[in-house]
Amino acid sequence: MTSEMATPTVEELEALVGRQFPGGTYAIEPWRVWLTNDVIGAPQRIDGIAHPMFCYYAAMAGLGISIDEMFTLCYASADDGPMFGECDIQQLRPLKVGATYTVRGEITSAVRKQGERTGTFDIVAFRLEVVAPDGGVSSIVSNSFIFPRRSE
Amino acid sequence: MNMTTAPSVGDELPRLVIESVDAEKMKTMAALLADSNPIHWDVDTVRELGMGDQPVNQGPNNLGYVMNMLGDWAGGAERIRQIRVRFLDNVFAGDRLEAGGTVTAVGDDGSIDCDVWLARDGTHPVLAGTATLSWG
Repeated sequence: MTSEMATPTVEELEALVGRQFPGGTYAIEPWRVWLTNDVIGAPQRIDGIAHPMFCYYAAMAGLGISIDEMFTLCYASADDGPMFGECDIQQLRPLKVGATYTVRGEITSAVRKQGERTGTFDIVAFRLEVVAPDGGVSSIVSNSFIFPRRSE
Repeated sequence: MNMTTAPSVGDELPRLVIESVDAEKMKTMAALLADSNPIHWDVDTVRELGMGDQPVNQGPNNLGYVMNMLGDWAGGAERIRQIRVRFLDNVFAGDRLEAGGTVTAVGDDGSIDCDVWLARDGTHPVLAGTATLSWG
């Protein structure tokens, strides 16, 4: 199954670079931390430090658009079979349980590739900063999605 | 476990074993993430997509296992400065996983670089990458 969305031109694709996300906030609620630790098998800590996966959860939940909206922005839909590319998480300062973080970010690259077996696909990368209440950047999350494109 | 002696290049990190990935926990994570993708909780959908007959684990869970392995070794997951991975294959409910790694560099500033991985049955790679940790 593929979407009805047309494959973007290279110019349209490259125009995505620099596009800023609306951003938003993410609260690291204690109940969410407990359940997350339980799911991934991490220890339940009492020192108020959140698991570093919350760098990722905060970034993705606070970027201000849904994953489906992200796909639409990139001229695709879930039906096109987008895949995770790379995931890069920098934990500059541990996130704290109970704190509310601000998220900001933008698309940093968008390139077209041609694979012998895979055909045409685009890689769109974005960078998100998770900012603590004191204004310091606690985490930087860089992700990329791979979008298979129909033959033109 | 927290090692008391500084690591050396070539050291193997103690492996973390997940004996069986739990489908019920995928449902909890789907709710936590508001993840509407049914492959994480609806076996009929998984079958219709030709992906097998077990729910598919969320990719971030797989990364979380690797972070746990690093945290167990280094004395806390807050010691992870950076981790960069690629998702190579799906993990399904019931899979037995092993997370491990190898020290690749030891910096004068107390930083430790590692190759890290997650593998089904300890052999089939499902995630691979690199990590940098603080030591001491």
